[in-house]
Amino acid sequence: MRKYQDMVFTTSARLVKNDAQAEDISQEVFLKAYENFEMLSASPAAGGWLKTVATNLSLNHLQRYRNRWRFFSEFGGGSESGEDDSPGIEFAAPDTFFEGVDAEERRAWVEDALSRLPDHQRIPLVLYHFEDISYDEIASRLGVSLAKVKTDILRARAALAKILSRGGESMATLSH
Amino acid sequence: MSTNDPEKLEASIHRLLRSLPDRKAPASLEARVLGELSRRAALPWWRKSYAYWPLAARASFVAASALAAALIVSGLFILLRSPGATAFASGVSQHFSWLVLSRELFAAASDRVRAVAAAIPPLWIYGAAGTIALCYATLAAICAATYRTLTFARQNP
Repeated sequence: MRKYQDMVFTTSARLVKNDAQAEDISQEVFLKAYENFEMLSASPAAGGWLKTVATNLSLNHLQRYRNRWRFFSEFGGGSESGEDDSPGIEFAAPDTFFEGVDAEERRAWVEDALSRLPDHQRIPLVLYHFEDISYDEIASRLGVSLAKVKTDILRARAALAKILSRGGESMATLSH
Repeated sequence: MSTNDPEKLEASIHRLLRSLPDRKAPASLEARVLGELSRRAALPWWRKSYAYWPLAARASFVAASALAAALIVSGLFILLRSPGATAFASGVSQHFSWLVLSRELFAAASDRVRAVAAAIPPLWIYGAAGTIALCYATLAAICAATYRTLTFARQNP
């Protein structure tokens, strides 16, 4: 469990954006793993199994919450983060912001930027880039159209880059 | 390096996100999992789900269920074939005579409602339906706008 708990918690926390809920989901993942201990104990794919279960449980959790609040939170279709995420504006590539920044600081910075994205952008972005799930599968798992998934991910990348570039400018200002 | 090329941005974001280390799980997680496992292990078998029952208990449960079903079916069969079945059926139906009365009352009430509805001009009905729909839409819009305003205020204090 110690070997995988960070991975399971991180997978869940990035999707649900709430540490307490991510901990509950992680607990559920390990309880399911215990029920399948015989199958998992000798399997080299145990990590993948845990990650898949963590992703599925997190998506189930989000789906329940989303069904309840979908109408209100997506009313008007605007960006909840208040960020202008329209693509097409020139900004610095995000991996250039972190030269000379240590890994933990970088992690905190990017996680914070991720958490600022609205759910409908963050969730497909996380599934695509962290969980290696295809556009088609994301669309079917989230119950939205393929075009919406592609647009949301595209906008999420642009919004993330913009948030990071703003943060990068302020960090550069602070360090000078 | 700067970019507005979606492909370059995708590659760049992918590199950045994949380079992130995992977050540290809360220290309480392991204790919570072990505590829950102990709690579940301490439960007696009959309070766990059927899949966790001992084999003998599962077999006994299936046998007892089958026996109970057979007893009920044969009991009903015997009852219906017995000489006193008609008297028994009329005795039972007397206890449910209120159902007939309820059906008659319901039929009379629906006849009255149908007669009143037929007397109302259709324009009034469409107007009332439209007003109700408008009120519902307005209320939903106010609630949604309030929710979004409060959420936005909480996220951007």
